[in-house]
Amino acid sequence: MTTVTATVKAAPRRVRPLRLFAYGLAAALDPLRLAGLVVFALIWEGLSSVLSTIILPPPQNVVARLWTDFLDAPSLSYYGVANPNLYANLLYTAENVVIAVAIGAAIGIVAGLVSARFSLVRAIINPVMMTAGTVPILIAAPFLLIWFGVGRLSAVCLVIFYVTVILYLFAQRAASNVSPIYEEFARTLGASQRQIVVDLLIPATVPEILGGLRIALAGAWGLEAVSELLGSQEGMGKVLEVLAGATDSEGIMASLLLLGLVAIIVDAIAGWAVKRLASWNAGLSSERN
Amino acid sequence: MSTNVAPRMIELVHVERSFRRADGTDVKAVNDVSFVIPEGEFVCLVGPSGCGKSTLLQMLAGLLEPSDGDIVVGNKPVTGPGPDRGVVFQKDSVFPWMRVIDNVEYGLKCRGVPAAERREIAWTYLKHVGLSHVERAWPRELSGGMLKRVAIATVFANGGRVLMLDEPFGALDYVTRHQLQDVLLNLWNADGAGTRRTVIFVTHDVDEALSLADRIMVFRSGNKVDDIAVKVSRPRTTDSLLLPEMVEIKRKLLHHLGLDHAAGLDAVADEAVA
Ligand SMILES: Nc1ncnc2c1ncn2[C@@H]1O[C@H](COP(=O)(O)OP(=O)(O)OP(=O)(O)O)[C@@H](O)[C@H]1O
Ligand SMILES: [Mg+2]
Repeated sequence: MTTVTATVKAAPRRVRPLRLFAYGLAAALDPLRLAGLVVFALIWEGLSSVLSTIILPPPQNVVARLWTDFLDAPSLSYYGVANPNLYANLLYTAENVVIAVAIGAAIGIVAGLVSARFSLVRAIINPVMMTAGTVPILIAAPFLLIWFGVGRLSAVCLVIFYVTVILYLFAQRAASNVSPIYEEFARTLGASQRQIVVDLLIPATVPEILGGLRIALAGAWGLEAVSELLGSQEGMGKVLEVLAGATDSEGIMASLLLLGLVAIIVDAIAGWAVKRLASWNAGLSSERN
Repeated sequence: MSTNVAPRMIELVHVERSFRRADGTDVKAVNDVSFVIPEGEFVCLVGPSGCGKSTLLQMLAGLLEPSDGDIVVGNKPVTGPGPDRGVVFQKDSVFPWMRVIDNVEYGLKCRGVPAAERREIAWTYLKHVGLSHVERAWPRELSGGMLKRVAIATVFANGGRVLMLDEPFGALDYVTRHQLQDVLLNLWNADGAGTRRTVIFVTHDVDEALSLADRIMVFRSGNKVDDIAVKVSRPRTTDSLLLPEMVEIKRKLLHHLGLDHAAGLDAVADEAVA
């Protein structure tokens, strides 16, 4: 009985990611992008026929390797990767990215909006964020390793830090760009402070904040993978580290290809979300038409 | 208490406002202005650009504090903005992220009017300003004049007893401008003289002031320099502007604006040359 209810409940949940994936794929497959990919593959093919396979394996080998390794890559288990396949490691990395982006975005957006509205808060937070924004993010990595060890927490904190700074800057700029006339008009119509935040500040800043989120998301993938190079036991970064140790160029390129594909699909989904949520804004919504 | 005198709606007593410019100089935008406006009166403010008309409206709206003096609206001192005083701003203020109909009902929504009721009200006013065909459009899809009409519908739908309009028709073509003047007068006059709202209407256009106003106040560099009653009966037509009484007022207004000889034939000649 419990299993029945469980599957019934799970069913509608599965539909959404699948549909999102389909939208992402559709957007990723537009003709110009495809043409770019074909050119890229041809150049790659040409170069690989001249160079040795250790330096540049041919694209079809890499794709074939990705196909087999995705579900089962026994060689990885020799090097101490917990799950010997790309699928589980990708999931681990994706989970960290999602957690970090969610937390970082929440902190960054709230801090940015609050600091745009209250000059006292701005005076306090701005210097910190501006400085943090100019520091190369990986400089913080050693400290995080000292504080949180080599586990998951370090990598996630690094990405949270990065996402927070980016979204703070975007949210703050978005809020200061909103013309004061809207708030004045709303106040003469009888809007309360809470209504001004919910009905004006948030919708007015959504397009720019989503733009920032898209940039943060793209960076977060790379940063998460890089921070996994620093002693994680799982994740795409760990896989890459292990394969590099074994000078397995084909495996490395297969993993990179997978990361690239995921990044493209995620970005396309984010672009689609921007279009949906900011359809009032011609500048953003026509961008992809 | 006589019954034919309307209660005072707006009262300004020695109101002043100065600004400090970025270069450190002080500008007196409004200088020692006092007047009383009874409920239901249609008042036009005229005066050259920069004479303080918008500043005065902002203070009445409660968005700007006077440097000195008192402002009382409906027996309450003005301490901040409120839905009892609607403002159609000189600049565009329609929210770009709400559809036209949502813009028009926004004020009602803020005050908790039930959805069906406020939609009904919003729709009525949208129809009055001739925009019912674009109720689901985004503001970016409308022209400048249409946006002004959305703002007017929004402010009227909100039901404030005092309405302030800052050069609402300045950017419109001749025909639309005259249509909207009629719309405005109809909205103002909808339920007869006893229930009229109080209107303060800023304009540069002398003829517009003459055809709309019960009373015209003239401003020059922050000072109120004249206060003229326009007693010509309504509805007024273009011919009403030719009545001797109107011509007399127009001559006075042009004199205040520094255009003494413009009322005569030489003005026509000038135009022909230009
Ligand atoms: N925020 C401000 N800071 C400094 N000076 C200001 C400010 N607002 C208005 N002023 C000055 O006050 C004076 C009156 O401005 P206001 O906007 O009230 O003029 P106006 O009569 O509405 O003109 P227009 O017909 O061009 O709209 C101008 O000299 C202007 O430069
Ligand atoms: Mg003005």
